[in-house]
Amino acid sequence: MSLDAAAPVALDDIDLSARDFWLRQPAERHAVFDLLRRERPFAFFAEPEIPGLEVGPGYYAVTRHADLEAISSQPAIFCSGEGAVSITDVPADLNEFYGSLISMDDPRHAKIRRIVSKVFTPRMLEQLVGSVQEIVVDVLDKARRTAEAGDGTIDVVADIAAPIPLRVICDMMGVPDEDRALVLAKSNIVLSGGDPELIEDQDDPLTAFLGAGMALAGLMERMAAERVEHPTDDLTSALVRAEVDGETLSHQEIASFFILLVVAGNETTRTAISQGVLALSEHPEQRARWMADPELTRTAVEEIVRWVSPVTWMRRTATQDVEIDGHRFAAGNKFLLFYAAANRDPEVFADPQVFDLGRDPNPHVGFGGHGPHFCLGAHLARREIAVTFQELFARLPDLEVAGPPDRLRSSFVNGLKRLPARLTARS
Amino acid sequence: MKVGVDRDRCVGSGTCEALAPDVFEVDDDGVLRLLREEPADGEQSDVRDAVTACPTRALTLDG
Repeated sequence: MSLDAAAPVALDDIDLSARDFWLRQPAERHAVFDLLRRERPFAFFAEPEIPGLEVGPGYYAVTRHADLEAISSQPAIFCSGEGAVSITDVPADLNEFYGSLISMDDPRHAKIRRIVSKVFTPRMLEQLVGSVQEIVVDVLDKARRTAEAGDGTIDVVADIAAPIPLRVICDMMGVPDEDRALVLAKSNIVLSGGDPELIEDQDDPLTAFLGAGMALAGLMERMAAERVEHPTDDLTSALVRAEVDGETLSHQEIASFFILLVVAGNETTRTAISQGVLALSEHPEQRARWMADPELTRTAVEEIVRWVSPVTWMRRTATQDVEIDGHRFAAGNKFLLFYAAANRDPEVFADPQVFDLGRDPNPHVGFGGHGPHFCLGAHLARREIAVTFQELFARLPDLEVAGPPDRLRSSFVNGLKRLPARLTARS
Repeated sequence: MKVGVDRDRCVGSGTCEALAPDVFEVDDDGVLRLLREEPADGEQSDVRDAVTACPTRALTLDG
């Protein structure tokens, strides 16, 4: 089925659990979100079937900004501990293993999060600016050499958007160079959304997910053992050293925290950069405006995050019977907070379908809504995105998108697998 | 103007620190430290922004 933004969409035909929905063009998806937000703000959907897991009772799709904020900011009523990154309930150990503090509630969540809070604050990141800059410059220079050694083309994802956050987060964690390809490959599988290119056996995706998690956990075990012997000032050492309520973290807790940091640190910023390049190529006047005015960077970065919404949703589960804006819900009901939809809510954003790099204020929920689970890496991501685009304008001003993107078939991450581009200035 | 912080709510996101670095600092233990409880005149607008922006609504203002 194909429909463009102008084609009418029938409310009852909408199914956000249909995998192919997430391969549609952004304009089509946003037309659907618009309709849901307007007509059925708590639309109920059956859960997607995942081989090996029991299908649950279904979920409510939250598409209005105000509802999303109401749920997000009441973590005692709408909890994360039942699972925040999976629609289907998964066994508790698996939930913790893949979710770490994302799928945890306070007080434990806050205690674990505070172990690393300091490292991700603006003050600490100031000390990282130089190294982010160095990484970006190195990656972009290498991309130009790749283009010049070949036919002038590059893949924005593989040559720019993926290596930058990978190197930044691996530096912070202290992952050895020789293990970084593994980190990239396995985190791609963890957040594949079941895309057939990344999950070969479509009848058994769980084995692939588990295998990827175990490989990352194995790497962490090895690194943790080294840090116990030879502590450094990296994040891995902080995790090994940390005590919560007088106890060090278990191996499993450390491993799942590690998986969270590397996976979230990689996939989301990569998506913001690759989709940001695409958005600028589709809005050349905005690109020209930003290139001419570096002062625009602060608002431009926020608009990219709003526009792209790298993480499409997170889940919450009601811990009690509750009412939101006149709608009644029961304990145990599941809610998917569709950040991508709330970020185009006309009640909050003037001309929400306009990509405006000067948008201010911009109360987007691209880093999550208000609440304790607000993105830990928000300041780092902003920095990486800002430096990447400033250096792109300086070093690869001749970059042109050369073909349609190859989209990840995932409801969870608004990712691109490939984005062909060419560098038009040949030396 | 006096700033208050609810340390049970604070997760050390550093949002306030980004907006008003002379008033707020996330400590090594991941909890907010107020560098001064009563911001100077020139800092008050940034502090108001920080209170509004706090993702966990852990900050309060008196006066």
